[in-house]
Parts: sequence; structure tokens; C-alpha cells
Amino acid sequence: MTSPTLNGVQTGRPAPAASSRRRRPRRGAFAANTAAAWAVALVFSFPLIWTFFTALKPANEVFGQDIEFIGSEILWSNFVDAWVEVSFGRLLANSLTVALISTALSLVVATLTAFAFSRLRFRGRDAVFLLFIITLTLPIEIAVIPLYLGFDAVGLVDTWTALILPGLFGAYGTFLLRQFMLQIPVELEEAAKIDGASTGRILVSVVIPLVRPALSVLAIFSFLGSWNNFLWPLIILNSREKWTLPIGLAGFSGQTGTQWELLMAGCVLTILPVVVVVAIAQKQLVAAIGAGAFGGR
Amino acid sequence: MTASGLQDSGVTSPTPVAPGPRARGRRPFGTTWVGWLFVLPGLLGLLVFIVVPMVASLVLGFSESTLLGGTRMTGLENFERLFADQQFITSIVVTTVFVVVYTPLNIAVALAVALWLRTRLAGSGWLRVVFLIPALSPMVANAAVFRLILQQDGAVNGLLATVGIAPVPWLSDGDWALVTVILVSVWQSFGYNMIIIGAGLDAVSPDVLAASRIDGAGPFRRLVSINLPLISPALFFTTVLTVIGAWQTFAQSYVITGGGPGNSTTTIMLYLYRTAFTYDQLGYASTIATILFLIIAAFTLVQVWGQKKWVHYD
Repeated sequence: MTSPTLNGVQTGRPAPAASSRRRRPRRGAFAANTAAAWAVALVFSFPLIWTFFTALKPANEVFGQDIEFIGSEILWSNFVDAWVEVSFGRLLANSLTVALISTALSLVVATLTAFAFSRLRFRGRDAVFLLFIITLTLPIEIAVIPLYLGFDAVGLVDTWTALILPGLFGAYGTFLLRQFMLQIPVELEEAAKIDGASTGRILVSVVIPLVRPALSVLAIFSFLGSWNNFLWPLIILNSREKWTLPIGLAGFSGQTGTQWELLMAGCVLTILPVVVVVAIAQKQLVAAIGAGAFGGR
Repeated sequence: MTASGLQDSGVTSPTPVAPGPRARGRRPFGTTWVGWLFVLPGLLGLLVFIVVPMVASLVLGFSESTLLGGTRMTGLENFERLFADQQFITSIVVTTVFVVVYTPLNIAVALAVALWLRTRLAGSGWLRVVFLIPALSPMVANAAVFRLILQQDGAVNGLLATVGIAPVPWLSDGDWALVTVILVSVWQSFGYNMIIIGAGLDAVSPDVLAASRIDGAGPFRRLVSINLPLISPALFFTTVLTVIGAWQTFAQSYVITGGGPGNSTTTIMLYLYRTAFTYDQLGYASTIATILFLIIAAFTLVQVWGQKKWVHYD
């Protein structure tokens, strides 16, 4: 995405004596502004805060007109129940496994492709790259039916293979890595070549170390993408023991007589890892999202 | 971001590219087949899992197709049936309302918060994280949370009661349910656009803003005449992608309202999902996918065409 730049400053008319009107922000205004912003943030976060406290309540105190964060007792055992009875432990392990495999594989694919597009020359390269760019604009979620039929034809419905494979080839990762790789000076590559390094060796020893920041951002996004994925696992997975967290949450929340305190414990277990990752990697994430590197919402 | 990331690794200075002197006999970047070797896994995956399914989806739209009964081409039959299908028409109306209300609301809130976080206040970096978290966490978990607090005797109505407002039927009344789905979606997603718009605002030259201040422009004037035109590429980018996403809304309806009450929150994507995987009408569902694809393509093209009027790239 192009960021707006400015060529020249135009000051048409002479400056009036308006600068006297410019107030120095007073300390009081600063404090009030800060307090107001944090108050809004608190209201914004109320649903998530409430979730956490609900997860610690006895079942019969989940609802009620009075807003009380703490119930008559604090039941950490709800988390144990959610973990064991509703098998959130299993779901968590599944989600983690699927996300880690997806992340590793999609990084490999994107690195190889981006390397070819940025550092290698071959006939048809630009045409293939154009194809990648075009798929960025397609609403690929609507192609789930042929995907399902295809996996059905080869007997892979209800497997993690079918769950993971379609998510590995999104072009965003390739596009992001290519942008980074394009900036590596040719001299580094040529020096390596003179030392007798093969193409693969150049990728591993020269290029990959230099794009490590981009790789880590891409890894986080691949992980979150898999962790949050809903529609495709809902379609392709049938057996409970293969479900991921979002599918488990949806299934559990759809039941009549939902055990809300356990469901909320499950939500906490699902959201908390995301909060931790975002808090740790906030700078890189904000920079990557701000650059439009992963589309929009 | 691109540049700074690399400079951290010690790579500096623009590359002096000199293609001339390089020996023509030895191919400088490896042979042709090596390039194809590297691009092959990604290309094959892209073809098998994205391009072919997209094309196949269009073809299936002209067929009657079930899991057990196989596929039979039926020409335009599905399309005729579709335009008389009251549930489909309802889902188009519901999704259109969603897109038309949700998109401007999302962008407006994202812009407002991005501007606010640029005023003088403490902890703006952490505030940004707070607003971003729902956009990066699982929609299903967020939706389940709202299903709890928006119950008739839930926490939100409890809060409203403390200020004397009667309980709102967030989930049980058709019109309110759609409002609920829209509001939850904005809550969930605007943080993402806030970051993109914020990055656009960061790129606005402080000199220009200072100059306009000297010229006597007030805050509102500065926003309308300077900030907004200068971040119009970011606004365009976020709007296009938000609209594309909005047409495909699924998880919020599925989890919060189940598409109800009645069909009042059944989006196109939810109707497509049910038609395909609850009622095993995969061909007919593909026809819905085709229409959805055409709608998204039309909206995107109109926006790309219309951007000339309001987006300034310098």
C-alpha cells in the first residue's frame, strides 16, 4: 500500500495572528483526555473482563440484573471442569498442533515462492506472479464447496490434512516476504556465489537471516489465522476428537442448557493466548497491519 | 515497515543495480528450471486449493449436486429457482443492510479512535493494543461472549437498568438481532482498520499541519481539508477490504443468533453453508456462491472505478 506523501507545502495567504489562540495543552486537559480514553477502553473491554469473571462463578449466578463481577465464591474449578469434562484440554491441544503445523508449512512455502519471485529469473515468472496477485483479490471463502467435494473424492474429509492444506497457499505471505527480499543487495548474493554457494545455500545462509523480522511477523499471522479459523474446520471436521477450539466453542454454545460458566472458561482459554501474543509482538504486528501487509477486515 | 525491518539487520543503502557488466554466458540468477523448482510448491498449491476450486464453484452452480447422488448438469435451473427463493432474497436483504450499515460505522469508529489516540494522552500504545485484541482473537469466542451478555437478563441489560433504561431484546427481536450482529461486528473488527488508518495519519507531514495551523485552520478544518485527503489511500484500502469481508459475514450470525429469530440475521454465507452442508444441496449452494462472487466483484469494481474521484495518491 502506498503511504501518502506530500510534495510541497502551500501556504497561500500570509499567516494571521492566530497563533495566539493556540493553547498550550494544560496538564489538566492532558489528565482528563487520558482518563476519558482509558474509560472508553474499559467499557470496550467490558465483555472480555466479564467473561473472565463469569468463568469463575457458580452456575446459578451467571445471570441476574445486578452487575456483580465476583460471585458468592470463586470457582477456579470451573477451568478444571472445562478442561476435563468439556474436553477443552483436548481442543486446546488440537488447535495448538494444527496451528503450529500450518505455520511451519506455510512459512516454508511462502519463503520458497517469494525467493523465486524476488531473487531468481525464469521464463514465465511475471505471469505466475500476476496470478498470485489476482488471487489476493478473490473472496476465496466462497469456494468451500468444491474444496469439500475434492477432499471427499480422495477420502480425506474429517482429517487434519484436509483441514490444514488449503490454508497454506494464501498469497499474502509470499507477497510480504518478496517485498523484503527485493531489498537485499545483489552484492551479498554475488559474494556468496563467488564463494561457490548454490542457490539453495544462498537462500538458507544469506536471504533467510536477512528477512527474519518479516518471517516472524508472518509466523504470528499464520498462527493466528489457523487459531481463529472457523468456517473451514466447521465444514471439514466431523469427529469431536479432531475438533479445534472455535468448533468446540460453537458446538458447546449451541447446546440447549448451555453451561455458561464452563463455556466462558473455554473462551478465556481461547482468547488468552492471543492476548499474550499480541501484547508481546505489538510493535511488529502494528507495523505489519499498518503497512496493509495482511489486507483488512 | 519494509525498509526499517531490513535496516535493523545491518543492510543499508539502495542497491546500485548494474545489469550490463554481468557476464552473459553465466546466468546470474540460476537456470530457468531452478526458479520453477522454487516456485512449484506454492504455485501447485495455489492452483489446486484456490484457482481450481474458484472455477469449479462457478461450474457447479449450473448443476444439481449432492454428496450421495453425484453431480448432474442442469443448466440455468438453479438460477431460476434462486430468484424465486424467498429465503435467498431475505439473506440478500439482510446482508445488504449489514454491509451498508457496518462498513461506514466500522471506518468511522476506526478513524475516530485513531485520531483520538494521536491526541496528547498517556499510554496510547497500550490503548491501541486493547482495541486491536478482539480483531485478532477468534470470532467464535467473541461471539459466544456476546451471546452471554446480551441475553434478556444478561449483563448489558443489567448495566442499562442501572441508568434506568428498559431491557432491550438484543437477540429475541428480529430487528434488534441484526443491530446486535452489526454492533458486535464493529466491536470485533474496527481495531484492525484503526491500525491501518493510524499508519496513514502517521505519514501526514507535521509541517503541513503546522502550516495550516498558522493559516488559522481549526481542528475540524484540518481534518477535512488536510488529514482526510492525505489518508484517502488508507481509507480506500480499508473500505474495499471491509466491504469484501462484510459480504462474507458468517461466524457472528452462526454463533450469536443462529441466523434468527426467523431468518432475520441469516446472511448469504450462512444460507449458503446451510444449503450445502445441512441440506446437502451442493449444486444449488454453489449457485449462491456464484451470485455472492458477482456481487463482491461488482462492488469492488465500482469502488476501484470510483476512487479517482476522492483518492489522492499524492
